[in-house]
Amino acid sequence: MTGRKWFYHVLTSALRQRKGRVAVAVLSVGIASTVVVSAVGLSSGIRRLLGGELKAYGANMIVSKKGGHIDAAMLDALKGIAGIEEFSPQLYSPVSLNGLPVGPDGQVEMIGMTGAHSLNVSGRFPGEGEVLIGADLRAGLGLKTGDSVKLGGSVMTVSGFVETGGPEDKAVILPLPSAQRLTGLEGKISAVLIRGRPGTLDETAKVIASVMPDADVKTLRQVAGAEESFLRKIELLLALVTVVVVGASAISVSSTMSATVLERLREIGLMKALGGTKKGIGRFYLMEAVIIGAGGGTAGFLTGFVSAQAVSKGAFGSYISMPVYLVPVSIVTGLVIAVAASALPLRAALIEKPSVVLRGE
Amino acid sequence: MELIEIKGVYKEYETAVALRGVDLVVGSGTWCSVVGPSGSGKSTLLNIIGGLDSPTKGQVFVDGADLGALSEDALARFRRERIGFVFQQSYLIPYLSSVDNVMLAQYFHSMPDRLEAEEALRRVGLAHRLGHRPGELSGGEQQRVCIARALINSPRLLLADEPTGNLDRENTRLMLELLKRLHEEERFTIILVTHDPYVSKWAQRIVTMEDGKVIKDEPLYY
Repeated sequence: MTGRKWFYHVLTSALRQRKGRVAVAVLSVGIASTVVVSAVGLSSGIRRLLGGELKAYGANMIVSKKGGHIDAAMLDALKGIAGIEEFSPQLYSPVSLNGLPVGPDGQVEMIGMTGAHSLNVSGRFPGEGEVLIGADLRAGLGLKTGDSVKLGGSVMTVSGFVETGGPEDKAVILPLPSAQRLTGLEGKISAVLIRGRPGTLDETAKVIASVMPDADVKTLRQVAGAEESFLRKIELLLALVTVVVVGASAISVSSTMSATVLERLREIGLMKALGGTKKGIGRFYLMEAVIIGAGGGTAGFLTGFVSAQAVSKGAFGSYISMPVYLVPVSIVTGLVIAVAASALPLRAALIEKPSVVLRGE
Repeated sequence: MELIEIKGVYKEYETAVALRGVDLVVGSGTWCSVVGPSGSGKSTLLNIIGGLDSPTKGQVFVDGADLGALSEDALARFRRERIGFVFQQSYLIPYLSSVDNVMLAQYFHSMPDRLEAEEALRRVGLAHRLGHRPGELSGGEQQRVCIARALINSPRLLLADEPTGNLDRENTRLMLELLKRLHEEERFTIILVTHDPYVSKWAQRIVTMEDGKVIKDEPLYY
C-alpha cells in the first residue's frame, strides 16, 4: 500500500468512526457559512428587493425640453438604458373643465399619460373618451364615477379619481393619445418622468443626455437622496448583523474544532513517539479540517441559499437571485474557519515534547 | 558493545527534580528492568532514552547517536528507526483496526505493508483479531498489538513503561513470555520500567532507582 493510499485510509477511518463528532463540527462550520451566504446574498439583492417599496417615492428623474415639446419617437432610445426601471411620458396642457372657473384663470391642467404608474387611483385608469379627476376638483364639482364632464370641446366620462397630495389633485388625467389629439400635439410630449435605479442616477442621467441631446435631464435630488440614504442604512444594518453573527459563529466553531484536536492529544503524542514529524502528523489533522470546512461550507451554501430565499419571500414577496460567487465564498469561509480553528491547538501540540503530549497535557 | 550510555543526566522541572546525575550503560541485546518507587525517576529516564523528553543536563548516547545534538526532525527519525515503545496505557488509535495500528508505525518509518503487519500480529497470537478495533480487544490483547507495533520496524531498542501495569497476573505472564520469546529471536535491547518484582525478574539485569538516582545495579541469570 502506498503512503498516499494509507494516508487517505486513515483519514476516512477517522471520519467514518467519529461520525458524531465530525457531524457536530460540519454543522458548526455550516452554521457560520449559512449566515455568511444568507446575509451577503440578501445584501447584494437588497437594492432590487427594496426597489418595489421605493417606487412609492415616485419618479426621481425628469426629462423635458426648454420651450418646446419632445418628439415621442425619442422614447425608444430610453428603452435600452440599464439604469431606468420605468418611465412615464406625459403631456401637460391647460384645459377648461365644464366651462367653470375652477382654476385661477378658469382652467385646469390636463395631464396625458400612458398608465397609472404609482398614482393612487380609485376607479380605473381611463380609456378612450374617459378621464380621471383630481381629488380637489372632485370635491369642488361634486363628481362621481360615470358622470360626464366637458373637457375643452369634448364630452368625457369620469372613470375614477386620483389623490396624490400633489399637483395631480388639481388636474384631470387622460390617456396620452387622447390628450395629444385634444391639444393637437400628436407625437409630442412635454416631459418624461423616470424611475431610475437608486445609486446610479448620475450615470443614468449622462446616458440619457447622450441619447437625447436636445433634452434637459434633471435628477430630483430630494427623492434620490432619501432613497440612497435609506438603502445605505439597510445595507449597513445587514453588514453589521453579518459581522456580529459571523464573529459569534466563528468563536463557536473555533471551540468545537479546538475540542476535536484537544481530545486527540494522546493520539498526536503517540504519532510523535512513533517517529512522525510535525509536518507528517499535522497533515492528518489539517486535511480532516479541510474536509470538515469544505463540507460545512457546501452545506452552508445550500442552507444559506434556502434561508435567504425564505427571508426574501417572507419580507419582500419575491425570491432573490443569489450571486454565483457565493458558492466559493461559502466554501472558503468554511475552510478558513475550520483550518484556522484547528491550526492553533494543533501547533501547540506539535511543538510540545512527546512525553508531555502523551500525558494529555 | 554498548547500546546506551548515559552520563550525568539531570532532569529538573519547575517544582521538582526527577533525575539527579544518572549514569548508566546498557549493552546491546540486554533485557534490563528499571525498578523503584513511584516518583523515583524511572519513567523520566525511559522518556529521555527514547528521545520523548530531553535532560536538563548531561549526555545521552543511544546506538551511537548523541540525542542532545539531534534536531527535532532527526530525533523523530531516530525514534522511528531505532526505538519501539510500549506504554502502560495501550495508546492505540481507537478508530483503526489492530492491523492498521501496526501499519501506522510502518507509515511513519517507510511504507505500510499489510501482509507484514498481519504477520507481526500473528507472532503475538492475534491472528484472529486483525480487523478488530481497540475497543473490541481485551487489555492483554491491546498490549500485544502495542508490542507488534513497537517491533514492526525491527528497532534496536524496546522501551516499555509499566507494560503490564493494567494486566492481571495471567495476562502479565503471557505477555512476558511473549516478550522473552521475541527477545531471544531478535536480540533487541529491552529497557522495561516496572514496580512489580515479578515482572522485573524476567530481565537479565535490574537497575534500582530512588529519588532520581541509581542506587543499585545488579545482573540476574536465568
